[in-house]
Amino acid sequence: MELYHDYLASSRIKLKEKVKVPTTLQDPCNVIRSGGLAEKNQKLAEMLSEDFRPMEYQGNYNYCCGGGGGAIPMGPEMRPYRVKCGKVKADQIRATGAKLVFVPCHNCIDAIRDLNKVYDLGIKAVHFKEVIAHNMIIPDHMLPKNDQDQDKEG
Amino acid sequence: MSDKADPQTMADFFKPRLNARFKTWLKICANCALCADTCHFYLANDRKPEMIPAYKVRFINEILKGKVTIDDDYLKKMYETVYYECNMCRRCALYCPFGIDIGLMVGLQRAMLHNVADIQPAGLKSAIESYKQFGNQMSLTQEDWVDTIEWTLEEMEDYYPTLDIPIDKENVDLLYTVNAREPKFYPQDIQEAAIIFNAVGESWTVPSVDGWDDTNLAMFCGDLGTSKMLVEKTFKQAEKLKAKRVAITE
Repeated sequence: MELYHDYLASSRIKLKEKVKVPTTLQDPCNVIRSGGLAEKNQKLAEMLSEDFRPMEYQGNYNYCCGGGGGAIPMGPEMRPYRVKCGKVKADQIRATGAKLVFVPCHNCIDAIRDLNKVYDLGIKAVHFKEVIAHNMIIPDHMLPKNDQDQDKEG
Repeated sequence: MSDKADPQTMADFFKPRLNARFKTWLKICANCALCADTCHFYLANDRKPEMIPAYKVRFINEILKGKVTIDDDYLKKMYETVYYECNMCRRCALYCPFGIDIGLMVGLQRAMLHNVADIQPAGLKSAIESYKQFGNQMSLTQEDWVDTIEWTLEEMEDYYPTLDIPIDKENVDLLYTVNAREPKFYPQDIQEAAIIFNAVGESWTVPSVDGWDDTNLAMFCGDLGTSKMLVEKTFKQAEKLKAKRVAITE
């Protein structure tokens, strides 16, 4: 995430377009609170969005999604507890009105996708790299020779 | 209950690990409950007093004082508290006037359960077995991993014919590692990272053996031996391939 932030901030990556729907952002505990990347996390989300809506407590003071500390790899054993405590995260997301949530963590993204189903949030949870790979300007030399004018993102 | 799980062995596990910081925290907690509202388990469970973070580390003092009977019920209660009631997210530490880090102490209790009583969640136990046998949590062989990279590239050939995922390339700026769930369940994650690295002209590589899985689930139950082995695998690859930096997925 830090790397992607630096690519965009230094214009090594340029975007075709930003995300149009309202977005918000998860702060994974180990990356943000313990890892110190709160600022770059939010900056990156802002650079990718037309309508970024921070959730309450965005940054170091954000709540856990319920998937931390091994809760996701614990599987079905932990699921009822994880889904229950995840209501706090679900309420936070709903309050922003966001339709897309950036989630730079595999555990968080599994947890939040599950919360989306259980609490019917109507959101899409994505990694940063998914949005960047789809919205960035791809250099010509990477595209097929004969049809460079076609849209390659599919 | 494991034979080793007698109160003295448990106390002996805690003692050398309780450094000045931990000792101070255990003594200084005033049970003021300022941590209560900071915890998503407390908020989402009808504000039950049992869910207050400070209450979740009581086992350390109880065991050290030797005033409790440690039987299966006690260990079960401890297990449920440190796994079902805490994500070790460390949010409460930010609000504690003394900066008491409950998450770390929950981690210490998990470590005691794992190392002394051999109690840990089945999901973490199987991940640890997989780490020890395969070096990654998903029991993928070296062949599975390299194959995944290759078919990942083939799949993208029509769209990005020059796309490259360099394997074991030396003298690069970046050693890239993934979550083992990616080759198993989310290969598109590897594709997207590759598109980005190719587009910016990054000097990068992935290791073909050992150290490519950047997850460390052993850490969550305090299996520090396995945890250390995993980190070392990655850094050994970085050294071997003379990579300047190690990047983890997301």
